[in-house]
Amino acid sequence: MMATLTLALAVSACSRRGGCRDEYCGTLVFAAVGSVTTLLPPLSGASLERDVFDQILLRLADFRAGASTIGDSGFVPQLARSWEWTDPLTITFHLDPRARWHDGPPVTAADVQFTFESYTDTALGAGESKALSRIASVTAADSLTAVFRFREAYPEAFFDAAFHMRILPAHLLRDVPRNAWQTAAFGRAPIGNGPYRLVRWVPNEIMELAADSMFFLGRPHLRRLIFRFASDLNVGVTQVVAGDADAIEVLVAPPNIERAQAADHLALYPYAGTTYTFMRFNLRANGDALRPHPLFGDPDVRRALVLATDRERMVQSATAGRAKVPPGPMPQQWSWLWVPELTPPPFDTAAAGRLLTARGWRDSNGDGIRDRAGRRLSFHVAVPTTSALRKQYARLLQEQFRAVGVELVIDEMDNAALSDRQNAGSFDATLESFQTDPSPIASVPGIWGTGGASNFGHYANAAVDRSMRAAARASSQAEARTAWVTAFQIMAQDAPAILLYALDNVAAVNTRVTGVEIRPDSWLALVRNWRIPPDRLNERDRVGR
Amino acid sequence: MTAWLLRRLAAAFAIVFTVVTLCFIAIHLAPGTPFLPEEGRTINPEAVARLRREYGLDRPLPQQYVRYLAALARGNLGESFSQRRPVADAIASALPNTVVLAGAALGIDFLLGIAIGAYQAARARRRSDAALTSASLFVHSLPIFWLGLVLLLVFGQWLHWFPVGGVTDPVMYDSLSLLGKLSDRLRHLALPALTLGIVGAAGTARFQRAALLEALSADYVRTARAKGLPESAVLLRHALRDALLPVITLLGLALPFLLTGAVLVETVFAWPGLGKLATDAIAARDYPLVLATTLLASVAVVMGSLVADLLTALADPRVRLVA
Repeated sequence: MMATLTLALAVSACSRRGGCRDEYCGTLVFAAVGSVTTLLPPLSGASLERDVFDQILLRLADFRAGASTIGDSGFVPQLARSWEWTDPLTITFHLDPRARWHDGPPVTAADVQFTFESYTDTALGAGESKALSRIASVTAADSLTAVFRFREAYPEAFFDAAFHMRILPAHLLRDVPRNAWQTAAFGRAPIGNGPYRLVRWVPNEIMELAADSMFFLGRPHLRRLIFRFASDLNVGVTQVVAGDADAIEVLVAPPNIERAQAADHLALYPYAGTTYTFMRFNLRANGDALRPHPLFGDPDVRRALVLATDRERMVQSATAGRAKVPPGPMPQQWSWLWVPELTPPPFDTAAAGRLLTARGWRDSNGDGIRDRAGRRLSFHVAVPTTSALRKQYARLLQEQFRAVGVELVIDEMDNAALSDRQNAGSFDATLESFQTDPSPIASVPGIWGTGGASNFGHYANAAVDRSMRAAARASSQAEARTAWVTAFQIMAQDAPAILLYALDNVAAVNTRVTGVEIRPDSWLALVRNWRIPPDRLNERDRVGR
Repeated sequence: MTAWLLRRLAAAFAIVFTVVTLCFIAIHLAPGTPFLPEEGRTINPEAVARLRREYGLDRPLPQQYVRYLAALARGNLGESFSQRRPVADAIASALPNTVVLAGAALGIDFLLGIAIGAYQAARARRRSDAALTSASLFVHSLPIFWLGLVLLLVFGQWLHWFPVGGVTDPVMYDSLSLLGKLSDRLRHLALPALTLGIVGAAGTARFQRAALLEALSADYVRTARAKGLPESAVLLRHALRDALLPVITLLGLALPFLLTGAVLVETVFAWPGLGKLATDAIAARDYPLVLATTLLASVAVVMGSLVADLLTALADPRVRLVA
């Protein structure tokens, strides 16, 4: 065995030498945690699918990092060379005549019209269809002019028109019945219009993209992008640290960051996170949405638990300070909402104890847990097994609640089981993380608005709903901020959840790569500008296919 | 012999049928449903409802079961929910990787195990035997995933002797010569196969040592020694042959161990085989894929047991296969 391995090691150098030595060489291997189901945008929603779409299927206009989603000043041309507002309800996009599909034809306004029809077709049920519901029609005025008409004027109209749709090739998909899109060949071998094209995909194993040297917005500097799929974050981190992969999107836990910091060949790139994590209370009885929850139906119990939670200390100990305590339901990418008017509630166990005592919760039998009318102040929290950080948080919360006489029972379960419980309302509390869009309007009402699709805890407050609607109607970022601050201040009083942390993201990229710029909402959106200078190319960069 | 074989095949069919049926019921009763978005993301409920309709999940469970069996009888394993391609395609791309890994691990397991066991038996009750007994007990008690992580850390991350995951090098493989490609595959295979093989070898060694010690005390061995045969000939030509018979039985029993071990090892080493396919399918509640991997594993286990019995009969004329 050892002899065979020695021979293998010796022979492994027997590769054919590649000749690429200029500015446009370079191969990057990404440790991609997760998997890709299909590459047909209206049917896809996973983060990895987004990363691939950023390279192969463009939008009409792209979002600038940190820019406002209100109006169109935060956008840069992509497939559309320019645009203008014909009237408050109409935007006209002028397509870039240089934009082409990878199989040759130009990208036309008919493609844009077809794309809108596909995304809004109920037969497909695209996740973006709700965001597009205020667009009345998309028509092709001529081959390079697409006209969007809106049902009403609103501040994020441009964002909705430009951001949510990846333009699809009508000439390849028009004849595919919509009910056959799930398994359409296009979803496995898409023809795109972006800086890269798909050349190889072995599901759950590897995906390879090759640069389109004729890309109309400029030739990408990296010749090949390879996604190497791993189902576990630790496996992905090990690949990057060992040098088998060149980059990873997020390291998440402090031990992973320490491992990457210790590797000389890696550079770390912190960027604003897109998630926030919270303990959600179910305001209705576990499994019975018609009755209030025996504990969390009382706002004072929820407030007491918020006061009993030392979030600053937990952030320091569990994330080594690589997170912030959010003063509202918001990730770090909404930096414009992190204002002094919003402050997290204080940590005050004495006040928490007083609140509980005032509500009749006392430790009558001396077992350390409060009770009232024969019922212990005890509840279960559902935690996903896949998140080491949240499991750690659950244990920290357990200790902190015990200090004020509250028992927390931790139920670890896989995501599918957790999701089942959320949908059925069969839980007391959950530890959840939410991925957000660049716009709070697309993310907040669905989770905290009355009747929101992901409002699993049944939180409802008409004043919060009103403020969220006001934010959606705001004509400037300052106006929107005022409305959001009002909504979040009311939520802080209602305490439908304990907002725990909003992570900083930290990516690791091989040091031979320069020009690394990361956009928080999509870390590979700007990868076509990353480069490996000729003097840093290694054998793997030079080798050709 | 034919009657025995037919009876065993009928029993094997019944076992596989029962396993698949139980798995069908269990996976449908387990909490969680397919087509959920990745955690922290929302999905259009209409899209989920449409997918459930398209894949027949809105029908009563007995009806789904009958449809599944009917499709299975036609050789149709269904469509993977999570990969949006035929299950047969997903199995076809993963199976060779698991066969290679299990084959290599089995080779390490038995070659190393038999060699160590024979060495210990030849030096029974000496210091080297005691040392190897302790070592093999220690290794056999190691959790496979832990051993995998240690080998990964030492030989992959620290020493850089071997790659830390995958079947081939995604960048270099296509540019390698034929010999280079073979070498690349061997390098990627080394750590997962060693992880799986070493733990098995420790158990096989214990088994082999005991079997050989028993054989060495038999009359025919005493006769061979009395004839003046050298000790190596007594050991290798007489005792070892007899002592290999129980190990052949162990070969059949090793298959379930290898399959369950592969689930852990394939996850640690991102080895795209059946084990990783099964764990990903379970997490995604990809019912057709879970059922197909279960079906394959149960077939492998019952066939392994059948083959072990046949081999034992072939190797030992005293064994008769009676229906």
